[in-house]
Amino acid sequence: MSENLPSVNQTGQNNGADLPAQTMFDGVAYNSDMHTGPFYIDGCDSLPKLFSKRCKELGKATSHREKVLGIWRSHSWNDYFRSARSIGLGLVSLGVKHREVVSILSEDNKEWAYMDLGIQCVGAISSGIYTTDAPSQLAYLLNNSKSKFLFVENDEMLDKYLEIKDQVPNLEKVIILERGGLHDFVDEKTMFLDELYDLGEKFHQTQPDRFENEIARSTPEDIGLLIYTSGTTGAPKGAMILQKNIIFTVASTLQAIPSLQNDEQLCFLPLCHVFERNTSIFSPIASKTIVNFAESTETIFENLQEVSPHTFSAVPRVWEKIYSRVILMSQDGTALGKFAFSQAMTAGQARADYTIANKDVPFFIQLRYRFWDFFVLKNLRRMLGLARIRRAISGAAPISPDLLKWYRAIGVNVLEGYGQTEGSGVTSVNTLEKNNNGTVGPPIPGVTIKISNDGEILFGGGNVFAGYWQSEVKTAETMTADGFLRTGDLGMLDSEGFLYITGRLKDIIITAGGKNITPSQIENKLKSDAHISDVVVIGDKRKYLTCLVMIDKENVEKYAQDHKVPFSDFASLCAAEKVQELIGSIIKEANQNFARVEQVKDFRLIDIILTAEDDELTATMKLKRGFVEKRYNSLIEQMYKN
Amino acid sequence: MSTDPVLQIDNLESYYGPIMAIRGASLEVRKGQIVTILGANGAGKTTLLKTVSGVMSAAKGTILLNGEAIHHLEPDAIVRKKMVHVPEGREIFPMLSVYENIAIGAYTRSNKKQIAADLEMVYSYFPILAERAKQPAGTLSGGQQQMLAIGRGLMASPKVMLLDEPSLGLSPLLVEEIFTILRRLNKEQNVTMLLVEQNAKVALGVADYGYVLELGGIVMADDARALENSKDIQAFYLGVREESERGTRRWKQRKTWR
Repeated sequence: MSENLPSVNQTGQNNGADLPAQTMFDGVAYNSDMHTGPFYIDGCDSLPKLFSKRCKELGKATSHREKVLGIWRSHSWNDYFRSARSIGLGLVSLGVKHREVVSILSEDNKEWAYMDLGIQCVGAISSGIYTTDAPSQLAYLLNNSKSKFLFVENDEMLDKYLEIKDQVPNLEKVIILERGGLHDFVDEKTMFLDELYDLGEKFHQTQPDRFENEIARSTPEDIGLLIYTSGTTGAPKGAMILQKNIIFTVASTLQAIPSLQNDEQLCFLPLCHVFERNTSIFSPIASKTIVNFAESTETIFENLQEVSPHTFSAVPRVWEKIYSRVILMSQDGTALGKFAFSQAMTAGQARADYTIANKDVPFFIQLRYRFWDFFVLKNLRRMLGLARIRRAISGAAPISPDLLKWYRAIGVNVLEGYGQTEGSGVTSVNTLEKNNNGTVGPPIPGVTIKISNDGEILFGGGNVFAGYWQSEVKTAETMTADGFLRTGDLGMLDSEGFLYITGRLKDIIITAGGKNITPSQIENKLKSDAHISDVVVIGDKRKYLTCLVMIDKENVEKYAQDHKVPFSDFASLCAAEKVQELIGSIIKEANQNFARVEQVKDFRLIDIILTAEDDELTATMKLKRGFVEKRYNSLIEQMYKN
Repeated sequence: MSTDPVLQIDNLESYYGPIMAIRGASLEVRKGQIVTILGANGAGKTTLLKTVSGVMSAAKGTILLNGEAIHHLEPDAIVRKKMVHVPEGREIFPMLSVYENIAIGAYTRSNKKQIAADLEMVYSYFPILAERAKQPAGTLSGGQQQMLAIGRGLMASPKVMLLDEPSLGLSPLLVEEIFTILRRLNKEQNVTMLLVEQNAKVALGVADYGYVLELGGIVMADDARALENSKDIQAFYLGVREESERGTRRWKQRKTWR
């Protein structure tokens, strides 16, 4: 990679009265030693302070964009600050107090950032709720967090609240972002966002110093966020993320994988998730990058093309979809196009073999790659919106090494990372200097990873959260005596300090024969096939392993179409003999990589289209083992009849 | 009622220029059935019928009529195989008389006696056409024109009729009249029907089986009665609304086709 990254100045100078030694990078100062706090970014020890500093410094420069009626509109740091101030002070005038939780139920949009910052700047705690959550879950989260205020995006989200309004007695006000469809709606407990803006603006006229004072009062120990963990079992728990966690994680991640001033990025994953919040709200404030809010999850690919970001962080599913699109397009190309594409891919794969092994690429392989890069791959990247990509990240779920290799072949170096809500989102990540496929990278600066005796990954550092909201028992369960966090993940460190994830502690299957099996290994192998979207391996206390498969609708439909397999709806597609054979053959092939007891003996397809609203799927479209096993119990039993 | 598929469509793909309008649709129509295809504007319903009747050519896939491949045949050859297409928007010849329009329907046939008998049959189902036989077809009302289009189709003495939105632009009363006649034709003349409709309520009312087409692909297939009871069909096609707290609702639930 011949990146022109700015050089690091080891100043070692204290630019404040008693700041620890600072290092400048791309014009931003960070702690030189990330192992010991307090942590600062440009002399600020909390997000509100950093936010206020950035807005003053950058003023009229573009901070973010949002598409309105087909046109990307720019908004400045001044706009950002004014909106956050109006929301913050509006909430203050409605009576919000320090350490009170304000909940947000909205898809991604610029207002999400305004609300998040407005809430934190006045010392309150911001808590995001997934728009796919059922009304009953909304009620649980509002009551558990004791929220007095709730932001809802639109009439659809408002209806969720109205359905449970009698169950949330603590709630004082609901603020609606969009007026569409609600012109004749009156309810004394609700108001619209523009009314809140007016309220905040009036409050600012009477107390012009209030907002700045609130920001100055913020401390590293303030709780900034409550992030409810999706929880495959039991009720969701709210992880408390402190201001110092935010500052540490942003500072450390930006040092591991820099994004530079004026880099473009795209926000499209749910902002309730700590991964996206870090990426699209917190980190851009530190690194002065420009955030583009995608129109909706359905338009990611178009928006990606339009924005052509420098920084793109996505979940494996999105990387898989981009890959599938290219493969589908290439199959329908002309003979010449197909030839050029396959030659380019061969050249790319040959080069990737060397770059993955971190070896120098031989001259002729490099030359061949340059040729095909110029004629094919460059255009491909431009069409995908990855022409300018420098910092491509995959996280939140395991990604197949084969897919990472494919991206390397087309000239996109995807860095896999690892993190959890309790670790403020990032624990380890591969870097541009060294990207070892199949690992999730070394720990970010300041984080220490240990492996316990039973193989569990433990880590400590400034990203470790303050505990679960009002649940000391659960908090104690996740922490070791020496302050390390139990991740529940199994893994190992290699000699270079890169982390491998091998599975979940909870998911370990003990077969009737007494053999311990980590299902995620074969699951990941199966998932790496484009026809399989997700899979759950079953076999606890059973004689052999089986699995439930969720097929990738688009790719299997394409397969059926190409092989003249008639089907009408999704169920008939799943039932088609050739489709069953296809999945069977994928499983058979995957089995060859595993010992006999670890092999999957039978399978069934989940023949309904699951959506994020269904209990069986997480918001990131992963199957939840517990729910799936319960719901499809009869299918599972079929596989063990004999 | 026998259960062999009269019309079997497998993995059909069809293009409008560069745009793929039908993306691998498979469906079958059994003898004596009325099968309906529901779908929103632009779902590909009309394209599907046009491809089946040979007006448009299939890019991929097979169409079997009584077990015989017909997807490479010209439209007239398909009519000779006793499958007629009653197009969307009637497509009658406005300057010709009603009688002449009906007579065109028998273009592929030569047995004068049978043609005369069929003309009587058409007049018996649609007495208004007999009354207006001499009049230019363009002067008929919309409902009468629809009757004329169906009558013209019947003159080919079809075993299978492809009907494209017979309810288009008609008053509810007329829609009911037309559908009553369609049902009678199905029972009395033993005409198998593939019916494309936006008016899901009437279509499911007469149909035995139904498919839902969306963006050129089938997303749902079931008995008409089961479709009527499906939550998605009720919400998206039958206009049934769940009561919400506010009484009105602008947003739509996400479709799952269950």
